[in-house]
Amino acid sequence: MNSVTATADTAYPADWRDFFALTKPRVMSLVVFTALCGLLAAPAPIHPVLGFTAILCIALGAGAAAALNMWYEADLDSKMARTAGRPIPAGRMDRQSALHFGVGLAFFSVILMELATNRIAASILATSILFYVLVYTVWLKRRTPQNIVIGGAAGAFPPVIGWAAATGDVTLLPILLFMLVFLWTPPHFWALSLFVRSDYAAAGVPMLPVVAGAKTTRRHILLYTVPMIAAAIAPWPLGLAGFVYGAAASALSLGFAVLAVQVLLNRATEPAGMKPEKRLFAYSILYLFGVFGALVADRWLVG
Amino acid sequence: MSDLPPPSTEEIRRRQRSRALLMGLLLAAFVILVYAITIAKMSVNR
Repeated sequence: MNSVTATADTAYPADWRDFFALTKPRVMSLVVFTALCGLLAAPAPIHPVLGFTAILCIALGAGAAAALNMWYEADLDSKMARTAGRPIPAGRMDRQSALHFGVGLAFFSVILMELATNRIAASILATSILFYVLVYTVWLKRRTPQNIVIGGAAGAFPPVIGWAAATGDVTLLPILLFMLVFLWTPPHFWALSLFVRSDYAAAGVPMLPVVAGAKTTRRHILLYTVPMIAAAIAPWPLGLAGFVYGAAASALSLGFAVLAVQVLLNRATEPAGMKPEKRLFAYSILYLFGVFGALVADRWLVG
Repeated sequence: MSDLPPPSTEEIRRRQRSRALLMGLLLAAFVILVYAITIAKMSVNR
């Protein structure tokens, strides 16, 4: 990890844009969206200022976790084309600045959440940051091909935090939303890791396609798609969401299943032949936005 | 590393200024946010 040394640029104080890049703003958009949907789908109304603060805290907490991830993984990032341009491996920032920024932001987000909403939401936010940094980044990512399965739990917390911020407790619906994101993460990342396999192999990260091969990974994608669809549709028959949600979740899930089967049937080993994997990866993002959006539409438009 | 140019003082000052300005703006935003949270919590608890 200490192999990443300062280059010419670290003689300068890091630019604020580099601190912003540490927070992985693109990943944050999905976190903010699912958290907002959790908050809006909750049966208890929340004051707009407190709701805004809760979402801000979740975004800052996710940014803190991302910064600490980049602090710890600077050596890995420097070996992968996709991540070599990040502030630390590119030499635009020293590691200590990233560590201080991440720890400071994490404490700030949790304390502000407690002040603005409640202790349950702040506790789950703290748990999600610690889970992402300690369990996923430090412990599992470099040790097991199941890294993404357990690590996915960290990304599944935001809708639960949003719900808890509004209601002060956690019920069956936010747990189902947690399960949906948790089970969605492996197919989403394995589809990506199939067509950027060489990057992970070069960095020595034991992603499933690297250690078990493309065929096993494709089977696992379908294997996780089935319970993911069950978690997505479950709120409808359980009476936790209405017909609008049920119809949208069913239609979107059918599309996901078709693409997952196409991935299973694909035999390509080179990225050029992995169109089904690329389609599934792109669709999986749309899918999560669609299902969560449908939940809010169902709650607010239909009632 | 010896063939690299020495860091320019002007560039260091420029970056420090832009970071200080942003930090000032963020602190001002934080003060406004805490004020708004206080008012919101008072109206919720009324």
